[in-house]
Amino acid sequence: MPRLMTLTIAAIGTLAIAGCATMNVSSHVERGLDVSRYHTYDWGPADALPAGDPRLEQDPFFQDHLRGAVEKAMAGRGFEWSTVNAPDLLVHYHANITERIDVDRLDVQRGYCGGNGCDVSTVQYEAGTLVIDVIDARTNRLIWRGWAQSAVQGMLGNQDTMARQINEAVARMFGEFPKPL
Amino acid sequence: MRPLVRLSVAALAALALTGCATTNVRSFVERGVDVQQYRTYSWGPAREQATGDPRLDNNRFFQERIEAAIERNLNARGFEKARAGESDLLIRYYASVEQQVNANGADQPYTSCEGCQPYVFDAGTIVIDLIDARTRRMVWRGWDEGSIDGVVDNQAWMEKRVDESVARIVERLPRRAGRVS
Repeated sequence: MPRLMTLTIAAIGTLAIAGCATMNVSSHVERGLDVSRYHTYDWGPADALPAGDPRLEQDPFFQDHLRGAVEKAMAGRGFEWSTVNAPDLLVHYHANITERIDVDRLDVQRGYCGGNGCDVSTVQYEAGTLVIDVIDARTNRLIWRGWAQSAVQGMLGNQDTMARQINEAVARMFGEFPKPL
Repeated sequence: MRPLVRLSVAALAALALTGCATTNVRSFVERGVDVQQYRTYSWGPAREQATGDPRLDNNRFFQERIEAAIERNLNARGFEKARAGESDLLIRYYASVEQQVNANGADQPYTSCEGCQPYVFDAGTIVIDLIDARTRRMVWRGWDEGSIDGVVDNQAWMEKRVDESVARIVERLPRRAGRVS
């Protein structure tokens, strides 16, 4: 099993080097925080920033599927969704799309470089960033922010791909959520 | 396969590390203004501003790190924090991120392409402004710009880069003559 894991990690590394086809996931956290003091959560209002993109944030399928995935992840961490009593935590998200460029090098693709040098072109693509914020409801302070970034090509308008991307993003993000001390 | 991947990751990390060494720190001072006449500072009115990177927008782990670094460095230079409305100076800062392409020789058709690989990177900029609290005119601006590829995804690295960047900027403030501070 550990051997398999190492191989998988190596495979992820290869994909990351290969370019923008992969999903980049990371997070920031309040250090030394004991999350075992929190038990319940609810969805909270989003801030004005970062700005969302209507192609994701106003897509009912995206909203539904994302909320479902986050609720599952929070339940998996032992948090209870409470809309009755004042919750300990508030969760909100931002889904943003920006234009990004990447350098497309023939030598990288084919593994060699011709006599007159390498042909170089830039590729423009749309990168999506999903940010999930978890806030201490009492102090109104951010305690954790997770994000996932990947190209959105093939995801907009394709519910299967979108669902798969959301599931991967949320599962990997919450894999970084702090564990009880 | 595995050692090769590990090497590539190491090479990428090396590139990222050398990339960050080439930061560019600058400042300018309002003509005829003696920055040394000011003793106390406080934070200017808080504003929400988009950074161009959704991971950093409204991110208190990032914002509080910059603010703490600015206060620490200003204090070390003999400035004193005062209550809002009672200071000589108002401080404000901006942070922004944008993608840049480094053509690195590939735009010159008659040179050998050996070793001249164009690349795209995220350039991050921190700007610090000192404003005369009475006249509301900016009297000094310092900024630092450099590649931040991979930095935001690693909280400890981000904190280190913020600390270094702010220290470099504040270092450019004119020194008080004949005074140990």
